[in-house]
Amino acid sequence: MSRVFVTGLGFICSIGNDEQTVVDHLRELKHGMELFPPLQVPESPVKLAAPVKDFDVESFDPEDWTYPKEYRLRREVLRSFSPHVMYAYCSMKQAIEQAGLEESDVSNPETGLYTASAGSSRFLHRSIDKMYKRGIMRCNPLNIVSSVAGTVSFNLVSNYQIQGASTGFASACASSGHALGFAFDEVKRGRQKRMFVVGAEDCNFDSIVPFAVMRALSLSTDPDSAARPFDKNRQGFVSSGGGVTMILESEEEVQRRGVTPYGEIVGWGQASDGYNVAISHPDGRGLQNAMLSALKDAQVTSEQIGYVNAHAPSTPIGDLSEVIAMKEVFNNGTSPMISSTKALTGHGLSLSSILESGICMLNYKNGFVPGSAHIEELMPEAESLNIIQTTQEEKPEYMMSNSSGFGGANTSLIFRSCQS
Amino acid sequence: MNSGIESDTVAVAPLSDDERGDLADSLKRCSEETRQAAFEFRESGKLSLLPTIILGIIERFLEPEIRPKLKEGDGSLKLIDDLGIDSLTMMEIVVLVEESLDLSIDNEELRDLRTLDDVRVFLDAKIRNIPLPEKNKHYGVEAILAAIPHHVPFLFLSEVSLGKNEAIGTYPISGLEEFLKGHFPENPVFPASIMLEALGQLAVFYLVTAQKSESGQSVNPKKILFTGCEAVRCQRICVPGETLTLSIKPKSIRHPIAKFEGKITVEGESAAWAEDISLTFDWSEATEA
Repeated sequence: MSRVFVTGLGFICSIGNDEQTVVDHLRELKHGMELFPPLQVPESPVKLAAPVKDFDVESFDPEDWTYPKEYRLRREVLRSFSPHVMYAYCSMKQAIEQAGLEESDVSNPETGLYTASAGSSRFLHRSIDKMYKRGIMRCNPLNIVSSVAGTVSFNLVSNYQIQGASTGFASACASSGHALGFAFDEVKRGRQKRMFVVGAEDCNFDSIVPFAVMRALSLSTDPDSAARPFDKNRQGFVSSGGGVTMILESEEEVQRRGVTPYGEIVGWGQASDGYNVAISHPDGRGLQNAMLSALKDAQVTSEQIGYVNAHAPSTPIGDLSEVIAMKEVFNNGTSPMISSTKALTGHGLSLSSILESGICMLNYKNGFVPGSAHIEELMPEAESLNIIQTTQEEKPEYMMSNSSGFGGANTSLIFRSCQS
Repeated sequence: MNSGIESDTVAVAPLSDDERGDLADSLKRCSEETRQAAFEFRESGKLSLLPTIILGIIERFLEPEIRPKLKEGDGSLKLIDDLGIDSLTMMEIVVLVEESLDLSIDNEELRDLRTLDDVRVFLDAKIRNIPLPEKNKHYGVEAILAAIPHHVPFLFLSEVSLGKNEAIGTYPISGLEEFLKGHFPENPVFPASIMLEALGQLAVFYLVTAQKSESGQSVNPKKILFTGCEAVRCQRICVPGETLTLSIKPKSIRHPIAKFEGKITVEGESAAWAEDISLTFDWSEATEA
């Protein structure tokens, strides 16, 4: 069994399109929310989002898009992209450069790619609509590969010439947790020496507004307080999108390349609520079991966990389930530091787990743990937990990242600092 | 000729406002000239607009560094090899051409389109609703041996593509040709006289395979003789490992004299040309019949 290290990260997200900007936002608890222009129409009850900055990918024609010039792409590459594929592509390019990988490191049968995304409902809807209006044979031949769930895999595998394992995960907000967990297994078992893991989601009218009718979104118009996980008066999440890439490598590869990893992944677990299609189990049953399973896999005890990056999206039911689950798991009287960085980043759905795991890696590298922002009055149920509300200059050895998705899918990942 | 007016235009369904908007959107990355030509075509059905529309649409899908090639106007440019158009790009082009010209193209029809000329000829026939002109026929070495009296080691054609008004042949110089031992020792150069001979053989093949008398008689291969050639120019030395591309076009064929012009290239580079290659010939059946 090989040890598994994180050696590369790429961020295209609401709080920055490069590592340093993301770190600055986390340390200073600066959020990425705004009154999102496409939502400022009377028919939309929701006004806020946490969009990616410096990318204009609103047009249905990728050749219209504007984005930072270091990512300049040819038409034949862009033509099969939807917005989140663009984010994913750029985050992967960033991660590869940052990890110092050669072309031969990226493209070989022992390097794979797992992805997480829900596809682009905006592009899928538009293309089906066009098909009805203009005829089946008058559509863009690449409509399907640019829009269905799986599009991130199709595009990145071909453009980066991935030859190893590749597949996509679709467990809603737990998707990239599953992608990371299974990628970790691939490297640990020696089936792959390196895995790219990419999570990505659109952030546009079509990706956000359908959540409004579920009453899952914050309807607030104040970007500075809308996302408030663990607050007594939390009202729902603020939607986000973007792309994040994490590179996992075997111990052998880390030594061969002589690189310094951000941290190590030591185990993961998953479990399901078996309860409701969209509502989390009131006691967080699945998440509890996922955390226990992860601790067992990592061979650490709950007391050893120094920080938990919680799933807590800022919804009334979701945050409470997780609080109850954490109280069950961390039940010996001491609580790890806990925060939800969704208060800063918004909720990126398939993106969230890998973004938050990436944040844990930045914590190791920069020696701080970001606080849980925007809490005015802590939810009473969480009083026995150590919900940190400000940034702590600490570097715990073990950290945990939780995620929960529709259908009661839950994942929990455990990381270890490399200096230990 | 009153038919001239008809053959210059075709009937087209006028665009609705919605379709006009859709087409403008679809063509937004084409040149202004192309867009105008497309809209004009949808009003007038004027066939002379087709090349502008088709080349404009193809150009829109090419990478910028490839685009100048189109401007050279060489119809023999290959879609895949020369212009880098893959099958997906081909589908994008097809969809936009269909929308612009208001026609539908089947997958099978695309299979034989290899060059810009193929595309132009195909769409022209398609839109006029007339059958496609016959494509060149290809002949391998066995078919050539069966047709003409020449034989190894004095055969200088390995394959021939026969069109309506031309024949194109190839001959790879292997280096094993006996005469190269003396022409020249340690420095094999394909002789200019043999190049002329190869063009003559291609002309013979054309006569025998493509030529018929008014009463349907074919040319007797045994009764063809090379009688002369007005001018020959050689522009390039040809050596083993290179492949000669030979082409001949008939200038006049009137029993018993046939005259051709001929040209040889190596990878697109001119190697030789010949003016008025003259052959005498006779019909297969006795002429006194």
